[in-house]
Amino acid sequence: MEGRITEHPILNFTKKKTVKFFFEGREVEAYEGDSVAAALHASGIRVLRYTPVNGRPAGFFCAVGKCSSCLMEIDGIPNVRSCMTEVKEGMSVRRQKEKGDVV
Amino acid sequence: MKTYDAVIIGGGPAGLLGALTLGNHGVETLLLDENAEIGGQLVKQTHKFFGDHEHYASVRGFEIAKKLRTEVEKTQVKLSTSSTVIGIYPENTIAYVRNDQMEKVRYKKLLIATGAMEKQLPFINSDLPGVYGAGAIQTLMNQYGIFPGKRFLIVGSGNIGLILAYQLVQAGAEVRAIIEALGAIGGYEVHSNKVKRLGIPILLNHTVLKAIGDESVQGAVIARVDDKFNPVAGTEKELVVDTICISVGLMPLTELAEQAQCKISYIPELGGYVPLRDVRMRTTNPDVFVAGDLSSIEEATTAMIEGKIAALQITEDLEKIDLEEELNEELKTISLFRSGPKSFKIRAGLEKMGIKNSKIEVPKVTSFIKRIEDGKVRAVIECDEEIPCNSCESVCKFDAIKIGKNLNAKPVLDPSKCTGCSLCMLSCPGLAIFMESVDTVTHKGTLALPYEFLPLPKVEEKMWGMDRDGNYVCDVTVKKVIKSPNKTNIVHVEMQDEFVDMVRHIKFPQKESPFVCRCEEITVEEIEKVIDSGITDFEELKRMTRVTMGPCGGKNCRMITLGILSRKTGIPISELSHGTSRPPVKPVEFSIFLRRDEK
Repeated sequence: MEGRITEHPILNFTKKKTVKFFFEGREVEAYEGDSVAAALHASGIRVLRYTPVNGRPAGFFCAVGKCSSCLMEIDGIPNVRSCMTEVKEGMSVRRQKEKGDVV
Repeated sequence: MKTYDAVIIGGGPAGLLGALTLGNHGVETLLLDENAEIGGQLVKQTHKFFGDHEHYASVRGFEIAKKLRTEVEKTQVKLSTSSTVIGIYPENTIAYVRNDQMEKVRYKKLLIATGAMEKQLPFINSDLPGVYGAGAIQTLMNQYGIFPGKRFLIVGSGNIGLILAYQLVQAGAEVRAIIEALGAIGGYEVHSNKVKRLGIPILLNHTVLKAIGDESVQGAVIARVDDKFNPVAGTEKELVVDTICISVGLMPLTELAEQAQCKISYIPELGGYVPLRDVRMRTTNPDVFVAGDLSSIEEATTAMIEGKIAALQITEDLEKIDLEEELNEELKTISLFRSGPKSFKIRAGLEKMGIKNSKIEVPKVTSFIKRIEDGKVRAVIECDEEIPCNSCESVCKFDAIKIGKNLNAKPVLDPSKCTGCSLCMLSCPGLAIFMESVDTVTHKGTLALPYEFLPLPKVEEKMWGMDRDGNYVCDVTVKKVIKSPNKTNIVHVEMQDEFVDMVRHIKFPQKESPFVCRCEEITVEEIEKVIDSGITDFEELKRMTRVTMGPCGGKNCRMITLGILSRKTGIPISELSHGTSRPPVKPVEFSIFLRRDEK
């Protein structure tokens, strides 16, 4: 996997169990405990959605559940904060393009 | 619906200290936190905190979170993590979501410690992926262990921006620059010194105009600004970066306080809109208290003390017991923390709320002679700003460092008492203490410095000595490497005595030299070295370095190598031997040399 820090002068990153989920139908590997947004960054994916009005690419800003910039479609549910959602085996994650339908 | 005596929203430093205090007094308490792991922003802080030892000075943020969590878990406080509060309704009702379920609880007393979020900075393409808050970078890097990018521009030179720059280098990333719109660095001097000696430029009076990129950041346009913060035409510069970090301040998250009927007011000195509260953290709703960054953007230490003050007052309210002595003690401590020159904004903001917090004159300590040159190792303290921290004084067993009652005072060293034990260097959160010794007979100087990078150098290894601005001073030799349990390792390096006062950082020698030979990956420097050792014959040079002997057969590199040889020896190329060309002149499979029927 790309983008993982293996050695750090202060922190210990112990290797965790890997989890596989699907991003736009493509299989992506993550570590247990990763947020969806973090796992995507580890795989080099920064564009989390396209804005509903201008179709601009958007990613996260705060990564801690405040800015609502990272909304994605997770297991069919739109407007989910991908920075606060833990990856789960087999989870289906898609970039959100619209505002999401009211079911 | 369950009613708790006390509910706390937010498990950062303020909320955790509130929970610990309420738990210790046996108050039935529920703590709600949105994250899976409690600790707020402490969990991603890898630096040692300032303050005094009672308030976890010299302990790294994520370790403070761990300690507090363990303490709170020993009490009866109910911890509910992954619980997102979505609103506060009439009759003291809190609604929160946990495991996709809506839950409701009631409180008698409420402590809101929701903290703050990072301010946005609008510029062209600031919505592009790769423009992130500094805290987001810390979350990715220090919590998840993920590289958020390779090359960084940091906007804002407050403590968060400075700390982030240092942490990025620790993780192995490159920081191109820190830019600051004001004419002075915002954060603590010891933090900016840590960054400067790494060679990271801090550009004052600069702003970011534009992020470059289609789907993600690929660069940034910065420019100088005039004294009205308008960009100066013609000063635009393009930087190749893949991530732009915004650290231009925090703003309190007041929504829940507003819903709990607390009056809020705009006080920019405290971070923007803040709930009005008294000195004991009680808001305009007598049942609701606030603490931490929500009440004013400050440090974790003051957040912890505020959490404790609020919890003590809540306990007094609920249990009808007298905690005045303890409360007054905490109130005294917090005003001491806020009495230094760096807290002037907080004091001004609190005054607008009717809370007096006088500036206490920081006493000047008699200064001692600077250095005794007798070859013995002694501390050199480079902490020249009045900040609330007395860690070095507390750890010194020989009474050699004086700060005094007001922890904002600058430390002063008495070299005649210093034994060079290095405890102060290990504990200093600002990494501002060094150990020096000079031998006037041999003219050798030794410098011990704190080193928090990987890999650790080896004994007898040659390294570069860098000055306070990250410039090369001289070569140094590593003499001792001491691994420390608190991860501030100590490296002793030896150099000529006159440089000891100049060197403040060490770096592995980095010599960039262009490649001559693409096949065998040989640089100009390597070829020059061999020529300097006395090899002036081209054939000999080939055998020594393998230049021209790769798959291209010298097509790429022969002329360049001959050029170097000619320049170094003064012999024209026409008079140099140019080697022998042997087949095959193109790379081919060995099997073609065999007859068709051979195997």
